[in-house]
Amino acid sequence: MTTTIAGRTRKVRRGYGRVALAFLAPAIVVLVLVRLVPAASALYGSLTRSSLLTGQTRFVGWENYAELLGNPDFRGAVGVTVLFTLIINPLQVAIAFALAVLFTRRLAGVRWWRSLVILPIAVPPAVSAVVWNVIYRPDDGLANAVLSVLGLPPQPFLTSPDQALAAVIVLLSWVGVGYWMLFLIAGINDVPGELYEAAALDGAGPWRKFFHITLPMCRRPLAFVLVADTVSNLLVFAPVQMLTGGGPEGATNLLMYDIYTRAYTLGDLGRAQAEVVVLVLLTVVIVAAQFRMLRGDSEGA
Amino acid sequence: MSPRRTRLPLTVLAAAVGILFAIPLLWVLTNSLRPGAETFGSISPLSWETFLTLTPNVDNYAALAGTSLGRGILNSIIVSVATVAVGLVICAMAAFALAALPFRGRSAVFSVIVLSFLIPFDAIAIPLADVFRTWNLQNTFTGLVLPGLGNGMAVFLLRQFFLAVPEDLAEAARLDGLGWWGIFSRIYAPLARPAMIGAALMLFLFQWQAYVWPLLIGTDSEHILGPVALANMQGQFNVDYGLMFAGAVVLIAVPLLIILTLQRYFIQSVTTSGLK
Repeated sequence: MTTTIAGRTRKVRRGYGRVALAFLAPAIVVLVLVRLVPAASALYGSLTRSSLLTGQTRFVGWENYAELLGNPDFRGAVGVTVLFTLIINPLQVAIAFALAVLFTRRLAGVRWWRSLVILPIAVPPAVSAVVWNVIYRPDDGLANAVLSVLGLPPQPFLTSPDQALAAVIVLLSWVGVGYWMLFLIAGINDVPGELYEAAALDGAGPWRKFFHITLPMCRRPLAFVLVADTVSNLLVFAPVQMLTGGGPEGATNLLMYDIYTRAYTLGDLGRAQAEVVVLVLLTVVIVAAQFRMLRGDSEGA
Repeated sequence: MSPRRTRLPLTVLAAAVGILFAIPLLWVLTNSLRPGAETFGSISPLSWETFLTLTPNVDNYAALAGTSLGRGILNSIIVSVATVAVGLVICAMAAFALAALPFRGRSAVFSVIVLSFLIPFDAIAIPLADVFRTWNLQNTFTGLVLPGLGNGMAVFLLRQFFLAVPEDLAEAARLDGLGWWGIFSRIYAPLARPAMIGAALMLFLFQWQAYVWPLLIGTDSEHILGPVALANMQGQFNVDYGLMFAGAVVLIAVPLLIILTLQRYFIQSVTTSGLK
């Protein structure tokens, strides 16, 4: 390489930087406006408190966070969110994976049945909440009509502190399972067919094939789906706000709804902002893990 | 066990699961085609008439015009289309810079942009709504559209496709006197057509499905979006269920038809962004 060429490359490279900035500028403006400004505002707001009487804002340091930790509503919301997270994510991923295995087998009309499971992913969250609210009506809803045909007693569903969270989980899984199944079907289709042929020659049955080939070969898509599902379920809001109002007795008071009521019903903005900061930090940690998986896959390919 | 013996029960299981997932949708569709007064009468006792009707009519759909729900659906279309039109250009430009233009710190910039956009928007929607209120963006279409314009997954997907475009192509075009904008809009964007369609779908679905943000920022009668209007309706004392189900069907059918038409691109975008 001669010096002239090296010199030219360097010059061109500087020029690229400016061009790149021009192309990135609109995205950076949007990024600052709708991601960084609100994050900074939440962080700042979480360290201050406004007086309703005087309208003055003063700096209170960690006070909002400390009070949040002692707040029974917040503690209840954390408990419900943890319980919800621990149930819904493994449940959805397990069902999605089982269905992905079922729907990748050569069965009569399998494409048709598979698309029926995928159809609900088009349903917006607010719409699924409205639909299931009518299904769950205790006196004249569809769910209890089905139960009575099966000879089972009517259930209170959303109106019972014992059943409301489970009812919300079913409602969300109606949409969620088909969506996550798409990722897992793609993962299963990527498993080399020779592996199954070799296993069949060794006389392996369907269970052994599943546990020794399908499951280990799908570890990455499974991990990705679990992480992405966890993030989306941390942000569940529409069915709680529309159907249960966090109740009965706080049984469905998930974090997003707790923040919403704290900010708008109670007007306690400082502590609501502190709670936003906690939620954002939680999702950032999980999203960073998701991003590493994305990059790991793309660079490794 | 021989495969032949397991096949029939598995087929039955597959069919049963498919029908189970589809039944609520069928029920919603049927109820949108009969008067609201018959919604609950048809449920009990349960019969085939719960899920089907022999006398369908589209009165409920006609009645949507002029209601808040009808207005909301129209607004949802406006907001989603505007988001796709502007957002696709913004995301593709960023992806182009991150794929085709080598500059110092590029991979760091890529990480920051995609990671920040991957932070779920709903988590910071409440503080952002406060900020937008002080900027007088509440109850404006600008306020509704803005948060949907940047999409980390769309940037990620487009960059993956742009990376696969041979650099010689851009080099040759530059020698022919084509500017960077020309290289982007005439070479890269058309070559990445599947990714552009996939990214457009992501931007569209994000806006169409949104509930938290439009609830916080656009609830007056002129800017209300479909999902918020539907939620308001079910909270009222006297609900016209026929009308409500008709609105629900439209809100489901629009994304469903788009997904079905662009199925190939949708699956591709879902799986590339997730796995490859």
